[in-house]
Amino acid sequence: MSEHIIIMGGGVIGLSVAFELQSRGYQTTVLEMARCGGQASGAAAGMLAPYSENVEGPDPFFQLCLDSLRLYPDWIGRVRERSDVTFEYSESGSLYLSYHEADRLALEGRLLWQREHGSTGAIIDGPDLFDMEPLLSRQVKAALYTPEESHLYAPDYVRALEDACRSTGGAIHEQLGRVSVLEWRNGIVLEAQDGRRFSGDRLVVCSGAWAQELAETFDLPLPIYPIRGQICAYALDDVAGDVDGKAVRHMLFGNQGYLVAKANGTLVCGASEDVAGFDTSVTERGIERLRGWNKQAIPALENCAPFHQWAGLRPSTQDGYPFLGGLDPAAQVMFAAGHYRNGILLSPITAKLVADRIENKALPSYYSYFAPGRFDMS
Amino acid sequence: MKKDTWQIGGRELTSRLFLGTGLFPNPYVQQEAIKASGAEVLTFAIRRVNLSAAEDDSILQHIEQGAFTFLPNTSGASTADEAVRIARLARASGLSDWIKVEISANERTLLPDPIETLRATEQLVKEGFTVLPYTTDDPILCKRLEEAGAAAVMPGGAPIGTGLGILNPYHIGLIVEEASVPIIVDAGLGSVADVAQAMELGVSGVLMNTPVAKARDPILMARAMRLGIEAGRLSYLSGRIAKKKYATASSGFDALKLS
Repeated sequence: MSEHIIIMGGGVIGLSVAFELQSRGYQTTVLEMARCGGQASGAAAGMLAPYSENVEGPDPFFQLCLDSLRLYPDWIGRVRERSDVTFEYSESGSLYLSYHEADRLALEGRLLWQREHGSTGAIIDGPDLFDMEPLLSRQVKAALYTPEESHLYAPDYVRALEDACRSTGGAIHEQLGRVSVLEWRNGIVLEAQDGRRFSGDRLVVCSGAWAQELAETFDLPLPIYPIRGQICAYALDDVAGDVDGKAVRHMLFGNQGYLVAKANGTLVCGASEDVAGFDTSVTERGIERLRGWNKQAIPALENCAPFHQWAGLRPSTQDGYPFLGGLDPAAQVMFAAGHYRNGILLSPITAKLVADRIENKALPSYYSYFAPGRFDMS
Repeated sequence: MKKDTWQIGGRELTSRLFLGTGLFPNPYVQQEAIKASGAEVLTFAIRRVNLSAAEDDSILQHIEQGAFTFLPNTSGASTADEAVRIARLARASGLSDWIKVEISANERTLLPDPIETLRATEQLVKEGFTVLPYTTDDPILCKRLEEAGAAAVMPGGAPIGTGLGILNPYHIGLIVEEASVPIIVDAGLGSVADVAQAMELGVSGVLMNTPVAKARDPILMARAMRLGIEAGRLSYLSGRIAKKKYATASSGFDALKLS
């Protein structure tokens, strides 16, 4: 009989891990306290942008993000093969906008190391830039174009993953309330709020910001903080005016936020981050901040109002790196949590590394940087 | 004992740590690390700030308005003219009239261009800014910047973000000896040992970002840096012993006599 693996958390990470393990012949059970994709995953703008999200240098986190981006085309194919739920995946490329001549040095420095890591990017300015992106503010001095970056529609992607898990025989239990770990040293036993018990051979914790609640159970510091991210969306038709073809063609990044046009006719603008515990309400200040900023990228937004606004909790660890790896030498308990702003991007590599670890396959050299025990210095 | 304070541009300071606001893993850790550091002066790159609404800027929005002195920097500038233009933008936005002149011409080392730095300092002093130039650790150049009217001079310990520590402590010592304005070691520090060494060399303060923001636990490291600076400062004020080649018994022979 194949090994039975319990997965705590039905977000994009938990579902991806479950799908990968089902594909490799394991039996999985996902335990979700509310509903799948209900937190950070469903709230995400779905950008697959390791170059734009990592501007400082090729650290282990960038390597992890880049490896995940490269898995995407194949991964998407596998999910689509197993699910009837369709989702947008768009290889749009990105533009990172700069407004100061002084940004040029930073963009050049970034391009220097990013070209050594697979970017075929270039700095674009003048008429070329406005040909590529007609609605762009003429205040933009130059932009770093990265053709390799893409995006997907996160809520549909999460539904497709959920469907793919079920269609490959994975069990998913939702609305469980608080789930506690009763036993983990000799076999795995978890208990839902209503007393239902779930047992298995191995546990993978994928519960994002809620993973911190297990610190006492495992007697380990697990510093993960929920960071609220507020996002709003516009109807692309309101913004487009008389532009021919697609109104916004690339993901647009700046140091204040991002804009990304979706196939469903919306223009998504994010994100205002703040610290508000587990509160997921939208604040006026958070949205006004976005509205104040985004017209500097696309002036037409000044006269538009967002038709939708929402917030999600992004789980960030103390050092910003996710927890990824086994707790004990046999990896009977594994962590895959704390992916912060990059949960969607990191879903294929996380699923692969969890499964590779379980099968004792070779792991990349950067793997040890994400060890869940790294804050235990005593 | 008299309170050990110091001054820049007429502002009295207690903390000797200037902290950069960038690179933190998330806003929560940033806020808590700033608190733990005890810093009164915070620094950031003007080009990264949304000057038309600084209170809503992606980084500054998390910082309590009015609680700190802001030291905006001109990073990204490669000439004096560019640095001066950036400084004017920052002052016009009402952020601060303090300015850290940071001019580099090489994107790999980010080492300061000394000639352009001196030119920008002269110009910005004329325009009434409180100017803190970031410069190489050359004692003559540091003196020239002081003579140009810098409110404090900030020699680097090593290139920005390298964590290599103070590569030329001899020079930092000379700079301090010659100076009549505060000297602040800016850039290249990595550990508490480095900041304690800087303070023992007699500098008035240190400026850092990466060693705190990129530590595994930035909040704890911010506190460690604060304590390291305090320890180094107390050590400097106390006067260390001379180095000797051979041992000297710490108890002395008299202490061994039976009464």
